[in-house]
Amino acid sequence: MKRVLAFLRRRRDESRARTDGGSTESRSTARRWLDNDFVRSAPFWGPPFLLMGFFVYAAIGWNFLLSLTDYTGFGGADYSSLDFENYRRLFEDPAIWEATRNTFVLLVVFTITCLLIGLGLAILLDRQVRFGRGFRTIYLLPFALSFIVTAQFWRWMYNVNDGIVNQFVGIFGIGPYNWLGNPQIVLGAVIFALVWQFSGYTMVIYLAALRSIPTDQYEASRVDGASTLRMYRRVIIPQLRPAMVSASVTLVLFALKAFDFLYAVFGGYRPRQGADILATKMVREAFGQSQWAYGSAIAIALFVLSLAVIAPYLYNQYTRGNL
Amino acid sequence: MAHTKLDTVTKVFTEDDGSEIIAVDEVSIDIDDGEFLVLVGPSGCGKSTTLRMIAGLESITSGTISLDDRVINNIPAKDRDIAMVFQSYALYPHMTVRENMSFGLEESTDMGDDEIRTRVEETAEMMGIERLLERKPGELSGGQQQRVALGRSIVRDPAVFLMDEPLSNLDAKLRSSMRTELQRIQDELGVTTVYVTHDQTEAMTMGDRIAILDGGVLQQVATPLECYHRPENQFVAGFIGDPSMNFFDMRLEGERLAGEGFEYPLSSDITGKLDDSPVVLGIRPEDIELIDGTGGDHEYAAEVLVVEPMGNENNVHLRIGDTRFIATVNGMRRITEGETVTIRLPEKAIHVFDRETGEALHNRRLDEELAEPPV
Repeated sequence: MKRVLAFLRRRRDESRARTDGGSTESRSTARRWLDNDFVRSAPFWGPPFLLMGFFVYAAIGWNFLLSLTDYTGFGGADYSSLDFENYRRLFEDPAIWEATRNTFVLLVVFTITCLLIGLGLAILLDRQVRFGRGFRTIYLLPFALSFIVTAQFWRWMYNVNDGIVNQFVGIFGIGPYNWLGNPQIVLGAVIFALVWQFSGYTMVIYLAALRSIPTDQYEASRVDGASTLRMYRRVIIPQLRPAMVSASVTLVLFALKAFDFLYAVFGGYRPRQGADILATKMVREAFGQSQWAYGSAIAIALFVLSLAVIAPYLYNQYTRGNL
Repeated sequence: MAHTKLDTVTKVFTEDDGSEIIAVDEVSIDIDDGEFLVLVGPSGCGKSTTLRMIAGLESITSGTISLDDRVINNIPAKDRDIAMVFQSYALYPHMTVRENMSFGLEESTDMGDDEIRTRVEETAEMMGIERLLERKPGELSGGQQQRVALGRSIVRDPAVFLMDEPLSNLDAKLRSSMRTELQRIQDELGVTTVYVTHDQTEAMTMGDRIAILDGGVLQQVATPLECYHRPENQFVAGFIGDPSMNFFDMRLEGERLAGEGFEYPLSSDITGKLDDSPVVLGIRPEDIELIDGTGGDHEYAAEVLVVEPMGNENNVHLRIGDTRFIATVNGMRRITEGETVTIRLPEKAIHVFDRETGEALHNRRLDEELAEPPV
């Protein structure tokens, strides 16, 4: 967007300079307009620009507008009286606070666990590839599966009566637990399933970064007297920072809108008590209860949270000149 | 500082398909305390593998490596008290120069922070990088990174320095000045140094002794001039010296060597060392003389094919019959391509090698056994 503006400004300045220079232009204005780089490149950047503008940014704007109305049930929204009533309601709704708390627990625990497990797997695999032979596809496989498939899969595994998880813990004489029904543990069970699915992804990101570190660095630190643990802590892992940042942004954003997995695992808009997050609450309000305006307000709150998460990342990229 | 000994060290790599490659074959070298030993050879000769075995980065298939009579075969790299300079420098990109240099001290000693700081600063001053201490490797030029890499190993004051082609990423001018500087530093510190290179100029100018490897087999360990004047075999003779030694395939026939296009009369003290098996006659380009007139025993008419003027000298590519060779002559002399000149191959400068084994049967005579070529 910024680039387009800068480009327009530059074109404008250029054409001004030309007229100020007083050079006689034999070609017609229309012809010059058609020869303009900006116009000529329009067929290429135009469609995506318009599509993004209309379907993403306009939709966000309209959603915000909707959240200021009292739109419920059938019929159309009344845009004549706009207020922040829905936002006040948001702050007073205990269910929202619980959903927000769950969202944050999910976000923090899920992201950190994925990063740690992914890092561990990547290091093990990198050592195999670097100092021996190994294969990596198997670890990425969960991430290649659809949420609907893995959610169904976990539903069976978490089944109270004959699920494999209960069979397994039964070996140690504990359980059975109602993994998906008990408000105390349901969030943990969901997080575990998500971590299983996403660790492969973080591993691949880490692995790519690890693979780009030359073996010389490992050897130099060994000759320098560092033990394997110290080598990873002081030499290798600090070099994975950029990979960690980009993986965490993806994970955090996913955690904020983890609706589809929850929808599939609980087979509906209503997760069991203890596992409700903002995303499910938003969809439930809007499409379950026809509280369109209130749902929009939750959506905007979620949007602001997402922005707050990626803003530092974008700023970081901006200062490094990557944006 | 330590006396390092390699005793029939062998390294065998096993490929994926189970086949075995012998990278280093029973190499034995005794490296004196404080000595600067250069391992030199063409690429793939096993010199880097040998160095990496000393460092502990590669396991030893058989044989032993010992430091001051302590066998270090099974001591991990981190406990060997060895510092290594890598070809790529292998500086840690996320650390400043100071942190890079402190890292080894922090990991391998129990020195306090103050002591480490003092040591790092002293070394940095010695290397002329004291003003770069707070910068990161990415902000430094190749030459500065090289200095940091050296400083990083010097600061540790190790028993042995290992250097793996440390100058090969520098441009020619910088490389020759770093060569001198490295020698100065090594002299000053007196630390045993093993230096790997494929560049024979580095080998000749820097080493107290050089060890020449080919195909994993040690060919000769001797001072540079000994290798130059008294090569033990044809490989060493051809590898050391630039342009390299001329070789002519010959056979002893009575009192003379006969080859394609010319014959070479020999005196009895040389013929006595030979039998009738095929031999190779070797002579260095700078020992071939261009003379006026003809008629002598070792004088031949040769056609000039190409002249490469180097300023101080000319490399003249010559031909007798179908045999081609190179002579290095005074740069002031005018020689034109296509001209026929008379050359002399002085008998005191020739080497004779066994064509089968490559073994030196006769090496050149040195005047008064001085390690200097005769004028």
